[in-house]
Amino acid sequence: MKIGVDVGGTFTDLILSDTHGGRAIVHKVPSTPKDPSEAVIKGVFEICEMANIHPGQIEQFFHGTTVATNIVLEHNGASVGMLTTEGFRDVLHIARHKRPYNFSLYQDLPWQKYPLVRRRNRLVVSERITAEGEVLLPLDEEKTREHVRKLKEAKVDAIAVCFLFSFKNPQHENRVKEIILEEYPEVFLSISNEVLPQYREYERFSTVALNAFIGPKTSNYIKKLKKNLEDMGVKSELHLMQSNGGIATSEMAAEKPINLLLSGPVAGLIGGIKAAQNAGFSNVITLDIGGTSADIGVAPGGEMRMRHLLDTRIGQYNAMIPMVDIDTIGAGGGSIAYVDEGGIFRVGPQSAGADPGPACYNRGGTLPTSTDANVLLGRIRGENRLAGSMELKPELSEKVYKEHIAEKLNINVLDAAAGALKIMTHNMVNAIEMNSVRKGYDPREFTLVAAGGAGPLFACDIAEELNIPYVVVPPFPGITAAIGLLGTDITYEQVSTVWSSFKIGNIEKLRQEFARLEEQAISSLKADGISEDKIILKRVCDCRYEGQGYELRVEAPTGEINEEWAEEVVNSFHAVHEREYASKFEDQEVMAINIRLIGIGIVTNESSLVPQPQTLEFNPKKVKKAPVYFWVNDQLEEVETSFYHRSDIPNGTTLTGPAIIQQKDSTTVIPPLCKALFDEYGNIVIDMQDKNASKNLKNVAMVTK
Amino acid sequence: MLPWLQNKVIIEDYLFNKKIKMEGVTIMGESHEKNIDPVTLGVIAGSLNAIAKEMALVLYRMAYSSIIRESEDLGAGLFDEDGNELCESDSSPMHIGSLPGYIAGVKHFLKDDIQDGDVILHNNPYYGASHTPDLAVIVPIFYKDKLVAYAANTGHVLDVGGMSPGLMVDVVDVFAEGKHYNALKLYSKGVKNEEIWKHVLENVRTPKENKGDIEAMIASARLGRKRYLELIERYDLETLKSAERRWMDYSEQMLRKEIEKLPDGIYKAPTGWLDDDGRNYGVPLRIETSLEIRGSEIIVDLTGSSPQVETGYNVPFSGSTLPAIYTIVRSILLDEANSEVFVPQNSGIFRPIKVIAPLGTIFNPRFPASCFARFNQVNRLADQVNLAFSQILPTKTTAGNSAHIHANSYAGVNPDSGSYWISIEINEGSYGGRYGKDGLDGVDTLVANTRNNPVEELEMRTPMRCHRYELREEEPAAGKWRGGIGIAREWEFFTNTLFTGEGDRHYDPPKGVRGGRDGETGALVLNRRTENEKNLHAKVTNYKINAGDTLLIKTPSAGGYGNPFERIPEDVLEDVLDQYISLETARDVYGVVINSEGKLDLSATSELRSNMEKEQVTN
Repeated sequence: MKIGVDVGGTFTDLILSDTHGGRAIVHKVPSTPKDPSEAVIKGVFEICEMANIHPGQIEQFFHGTTVATNIVLEHNGASVGMLTTEGFRDVLHIARHKRPYNFSLYQDLPWQKYPLVRRRNRLVVSERITAEGEVLLPLDEEKTREHVRKLKEAKVDAIAVCFLFSFKNPQHENRVKEIILEEYPEVFLSISNEVLPQYREYERFSTVALNAFIGPKTSNYIKKLKKNLEDMGVKSELHLMQSNGGIATSEMAAEKPINLLLSGPVAGLIGGIKAAQNAGFSNVITLDIGGTSADIGVAPGGEMRMRHLLDTRIGQYNAMIPMVDIDTIGAGGGSIAYVDEGGIFRVGPQSAGADPGPACYNRGGTLPTSTDANVLLGRIRGENRLAGSMELKPELSEKVYKEHIAEKLNINVLDAAAGALKIMTHNMVNAIEMNSVRKGYDPREFTLVAAGGAGPLFACDIAEELNIPYVVVPPFPGITAAIGLLGTDITYEQVSTVWSSFKIGNIEKLRQEFARLEEQAISSLKADGISEDKIILKRVCDCRYEGQGYELRVEAPTGEINEEWAEEVVNSFHAVHEREYASKFEDQEVMAINIRLIGIGIVTNESSLVPQPQTLEFNPKKVKKAPVYFWVNDQLEEVETSFYHRSDIPNGTTLTGPAIIQQKDSTTVIPPLCKALFDEYGNIVIDMQDKNASKNLKNVAMVTK
Repeated sequence: MLPWLQNKVIIEDYLFNKKIKMEGVTIMGESHEKNIDPVTLGVIAGSLNAIAKEMALVLYRMAYSSIIRESEDLGAGLFDEDGNELCESDSSPMHIGSLPGYIAGVKHFLKDDIQDGDVILHNNPYYGASHTPDLAVIVPIFYKDKLVAYAANTGHVLDVGGMSPGLMVDVVDVFAEGKHYNALKLYSKGVKNEEIWKHVLENVRTPKENKGDIEAMIASARLGRKRYLELIERYDLETLKSAERRWMDYSEQMLRKEIEKLPDGIYKAPTGWLDDDGRNYGVPLRIETSLEIRGSEIIVDLTGSSPQVETGYNVPFSGSTLPAIYTIVRSILLDEANSEVFVPQNSGIFRPIKVIAPLGTIFNPRFPASCFARFNQVNRLADQVNLAFSQILPTKTTAGNSAHIHANSYAGVNPDSGSYWISIEINEGSYGGRYGKDGLDGVDTLVANTRNNPVEELEMRTPMRCHRYELREEEPAAGKWRGGIGIAREWEFFTNTLFTGEGDRHYDPPKGVRGGRDGETGALVLNRRTENEKNLHAKVTNYKINAGDTLLIKTPSAGGYGNPFERIPEDVLEDVLDQYISLETARDVYGVVINSEGKLDLSATSELRSNMEKEQVTN
């Protein structure tokens, strides 16, 4: 058996799957933000009971957590000390000297208002390594020791060591580490050449300081969880999801918690990819819509793309670590619709959240939300209890839409609700376009996977706008991330700044550097108990044209590193540059700035979820009908629509919209002309082609008219 | 395609009502206006902003010179057929507000000869350009054989072949600044004009970088054109045009609403003084700024400011004076961080603002005066407007800001290749104390918003080594809310280097307001703490720095806001702990007593404060 546990802000989701073919059980327990491990333990206990197994039977344990992310967003991390090169005390305070807003005198600079390391704890020592990696000024060891004692006295929980050019020569940083271990062995350590041996001092210092800031709490959480799991009889290793899409052992995660920052959303993307693959699609766009925000991921060929290094930040802090490219926008079930002072109709990013929530929850929400709009259009029915517990009051939705939108714009309530959904849909369409069309990927060749509680409400409307031919709604849209956890492998990514061209004279250097990184990765993986035959090594070069300032990630072939290899990398770079920027300069020299080695240890078997035979019989008589509003020929029309419970529909069933599929934590909207197939993996696969064709025909008619 | 609400009479009524309300202040109500529903309106605005952002992204990530790619000294956006700005990227505010002027300049030179497929290069500061090194690439957008819009961007290139590599201040006239490209077509109807390219690249010191930068600018502008055409296909031209006008009206209306809240009258900033013109050292230059609120309009009058100068220290009127004033008015009245809704930056923002600067003065020089080095003056101008506003808007303005830049260029010839290396550095400043908040430290201010270059990048590319880059050691200007702190940066040079400094504020410190103290002036010090130590003027042109020399740059610290005795004692203690101020300053300037254990003594503090206040009154 293996288990995936994803801790979110509101719920902790679990999935238990039988590795030897068979069933999967899912479960949800409320999260316990004060100590997230409580909910994990409770959930594991309960799901084992449901499956009638002993926790000791769990062979593999995969975990995604927002612990690290929340520390950053809530700014309640450790008290951090920093030792840095004399003359550079305020690198973290100045950052890149660019303010977030152009037009604002009253803005705050987050790095100054909420510093990761306060100035009093940023101490400088005399030392200097040159750009060539030579020692210009020796390390002042005495001063170092004095400062470490000072930081100990100040009771810092973590120390970051950040010297200039340490990626060229780590000897000073390493010596400082030794001194700290002598003076203050219990402190959490974050050493820049270990965490991130990569150039650009502000980004590196920020990453290393962030690692220190989240380090003590995160590693304590991991240790505690591990112990509690052991106490309840779980014998397997605890694996954690990282921002780069791979998983880490608990030791590795506790040492470099910085790699856990995007844990949750990445697992969601992987879960979406798996669902699409089960349904037979390889190009995937995932859309995970929750209460306040929507996560969008694009995976051509099922491969996750990595974010550009300038965009790898968490909240307002730079973290120059490999992150899967997931875009988050402020659009969710709680997004608030309003008319601004200038008479413009807007939706979000402000959200009513879970509390007070949408007006229809009747928990004190007095503003119109996207959920209220769905209620007014009949897509979410009052009698369908959301998340199994809440009764909805559509009359409250009507009241707030009337008061805040319809009367102000002098339109009727239904048009107001439909307008709010249209605006939200468009915001999401825009975000998907930014990450697909504008990166050279045609959405017409992709499949949209709808996840999160609200994803399946919007998916078909979005697919129609983008001409996406298929929508896949996984069996449990609300726990896609937990499922994704079961489909990942152990991953180490080693990086080295090389600043080298691909000329013949440099190839030997690249070969040696890759060999060094490969050795590191293999020994790390072996230490995690991975056997040689389960290890895959991938090479990546961060390249740019000589003279440019920003690199693009280029996959480099395996095999011997020689002239042909170099030529292949250079050619791939031209192609990547062209895809990204619509141009290439083949006459220009290509430089590898960083090289990366990704070591993967395979721990998963092929498919985490197996097809399930079902003995259910479809009984159309049980179907309720009710009016729902859809856009038909650009007009909002009331259409008599069938409502189903998802658990009543056996695999293999096909339905044609309009239909609404309800389940415990999600509602799927299937508009007219869309065809839905319930496949053997429990996915709803919606064929949009007739719907899209009808729209396109109409457009042609309008253009020619 | 028109969306679902198209035929609803109700919507037409709604817009019609709005139109009537807005009459007299907008161009709406013209007979060709098409009604457009509120949903489509929002959707189109989102698309326009996304396009500007994407254009800028392509430009700076592809670009070669560090001033574009690291400093983001660039702008990009879309403009209507009349050159009105529809959207702008959130890069450096100075740039984009200038593009409507560039487009007007292009029209002046080309008249009707603007064709589909043209790629136009322009940089003449007397015809719209911000200054000569800020090249613009402008691509006209045609739809069904009709010119419907422009996609354009600007970027600061390292060199345009003037009398000095990189930057220059002491320069004889506009011709000595560099080459002027008067609406030259890099591509004519889609065909590359090879001769022009040769001319453009063979007459500058950094041909490779300029080529890469111009290519990036073309890629960005062409992308803008492509996206705009996609928008037309999606919504049809008429709808798009209506939405554009509506959004400009919207931004205008939002700004006018804020102006109307202010009491009518004329408000003057204290006279500001610039150090000198970069040649006649010791002769300061006056800035007079008066701000008139008249109904929903603002008139900024610079009459009384210095006559134009004989060096390059003048300011192009449409390319630099106007954008600076638009930027500061918007920043105060529609502060992005405090506004609940996003008010797009477009030409609508410009309409309620009038600027008077007599011809022949420093803010509106007469041809052929050079106007290469203009950033200090416009940033200072923005601060003057801030100080004038301060009288009526104490909670939206700041104490005096550093309001300068120290733009430095370092250059030399590589002895092996014979080619130039040029590095341009923008040294940031600080913001004045604000109502309820301290000023920001070490940050680009007001009209500037560039990014610094990593030290680890510069040292791998240039024959220089950085020994210091941190906040300067002098204490911040005291106040109830303290002023921001400038930076100190020190370089060591490995080879003989040509240095040009375009800076200011070595004499006139940023002003404190409402009892806050004045800030600190800036400084340039050669070979600090050696026998050869020497203070340099803020402006020097082609100053020869020898191998082994060092140069320390200190940028101004901004003014404080309010009486230091009113500063919360806990905040004073924090400043002591963070080593911004000494224990003595805490006691003598803030009247805050901290005991030997480093704890606040509140009763001693209130006693000391009341005694000191009495003393002040008697004095």
